[in-house]
Amino acid sequence: MSHIKHKTIRMIKDKIFLIVVGTLTLLAILPLFHIIISIFEKGLPIVMERGLTFITGTLSEGGIGPAIVGTLMLTFMATLIGLPLAFLAGAYAYEFPDSFIGRGTKMLLQIMLEFPTILVGTFIMGLLVIPMGSFSALAGALSLALILTPYVAVYTEEAMAEVPRIYKEGGYALGCTRAQVIFKVITKMAKKGILTGILIGMAKVAGETAPLLFTAGGLYEVYPTDPLQPIGAIPLLIYTLVQSPSPQDHQMAWGAALIMLLIFLSIFVPIRYALKDDIKL
Amino acid sequence: MKILKKLDKFKLTTLPAIFIVFVLFVLMLGFYFINALPAIEKYGINLFITNIWQAAEDPAKEVYGLAAPIWGSIYTATIAILIALPLSLCYAIFVNDYAPKKLKHPLIIISDIMAGLPTIIYGIWGAFILVPLLRDYIMKFLYNHLSFIPLFNYPPLSGYCYLSAGILLGIMVTPFAAAIIREAYAMIPSVYKEGLVALGATRYETTKVLIKYIKPAIISGLILAFGRALGETVAVSLVIGNSFNLTYKLFAPGYTISSLIANQFGNAILYKYMTSVLYSAGLVLFIIGLVVNILGLYYLKRWREYVSH
Repeated sequence: MSHIKHKTIRMIKDKIFLIVVGTLTLLAILPLFHIIISIFEKGLPIVMERGLTFITGTLSEGGIGPAIVGTLMLTFMATLIGLPLAFLAGAYAYEFPDSFIGRGTKMLLQIMLEFPTILVGTFIMGLLVIPMGSFSALAGALSLALILTPYVAVYTEEAMAEVPRIYKEGGYALGCTRAQVIFKVITKMAKKGILTGILIGMAKVAGETAPLLFTAGGLYEVYPTDPLQPIGAIPLLIYTLVQSPSPQDHQMAWGAALIMLLIFLSIFVPIRYALKDDIKL
Repeated sequence: MKILKKLDKFKLTTLPAIFIVFVLFVLMLGFYFINALPAIEKYGINLFITNIWQAAEDPAKEVYGLAAPIWGSIYTATIAILIALPLSLCYAIFVNDYAPKKLKHPLIIISDIMAGLPTIIYGIWGAFILVPLLRDYIMKFLYNHLSFIPLFNYPPLSGYCYLSAGILLGIMVTPFAAAIIREAYAMIPSVYKEGLVALGATRYETTKVLIKYIKPAIISGLILAFGRALGETVAVSLVIGNSFNLTYKLFAPGYTISSLIANQFGNAILYKYMTSVLYSAGLVLFIIGLVVNILGLYYLKRWREYVSH
């Protein structure tokens, strides 16, 4: 009798465990759906009401055009600055994983990856904005580049490490130099992984707010043209609008959040799906 | 000549990049030290252990103490971890052991989307949706019925408080911790599991044993998530209430280092010492972040070496 009872208790425990695990998993992913639904619910009316003006107009016309262009410009400039640095640093960390500098580089990149982004912003402010006397697109892009670099570098290193060693040996056997083997053979084979890293890094910096607070300055009434002048960005605009007491500004903020969410999802989801097979299960 | 021989074309092209990355990092640390120095010299250790914020035009009357934001950063990040621990652990177990095959990829992708979602989106949702929800359904209930517990005896007027910030941060860092734990859980050699099942263990018993096996990975995931929660700025500054409150009471508005910098840095130039004080706060965040991340990465590395052997 007691044996059967013991077994039932174990089975009941097992069932309870399954329910708890399932519920908490649901709870962990539920916020995403709630966020998406609330943003559509609150943002869609305002975007529909203003129509195209919302995408192209300036802030006083009821649109976020300059902020969209600003985000694109900042992301593009940050990639331009950060990419070469990231690629070379990643290649070095891949080639010399056991040397002192190689190990140090990888460690440093990983630390920078997790670094509070606001500190990057205040750093660039002291370094560039105060001496130059004004907020600028360049300062904003530089702070974003500092955040992008470790991302892309770590992805580059990991993508290169995935390439089978035999190709490297083949390259050397053909008499190639180290630079040729890595920049021509390995880079080409790791192309997909590196490109993913670049895209994810760009998506990441396009959504950053904190580093832009004290570097970009914000510009929402005219379209940005000069890299030495202040520039706006969608996340920065949302942050400013949320803090305003006026309900109209809050509406704008929801609209801008919707546009941003759509941009983010349309870039991020396809990339993630393309990488589906890399997931270890 | 010998040195030149050692430097091939590859090193010649990559070393400048490495050099720039290192220099930037050292420059940043040095920059924070130098800019923090005037405030540290003026206020000494009091800058970090007292809670006071008196901005004045006259530099002699300026007094600052960063205890509240330092406490707030650590407190909210701790709440976040307490929320993220059960959620991320259960997520990892569910995805690996229980989820039907069709659900696995979507679940992983959903969690990855959450980890990458721009923080301002969490911020706007937190400020306008989550905080009123928490205030009306949870905080008021706890305050009305359980306020004999000191944690809950602060009237939840606005809802912008330590708890809201902690919960929002918890939601934000859960997918990040979950990714690390899930990967570790998936890496456990299947023989262990098969052995346990062969012994007649139920799924619950099997999981209980296997979780112990990946303990270092869980710890590192949580430490890294803690570091991320510490550094988060905009989402927190929108929900924490931004006032200098040095208290453990969950419903009291507070400050974190990053939200303090975000709020005060813009007008700090008007005062003689405030900029330097904010750089000191940044330095504290810098150092805590550095220690936390190195610790987390160390555990992760140790775990990976342990598995690969």
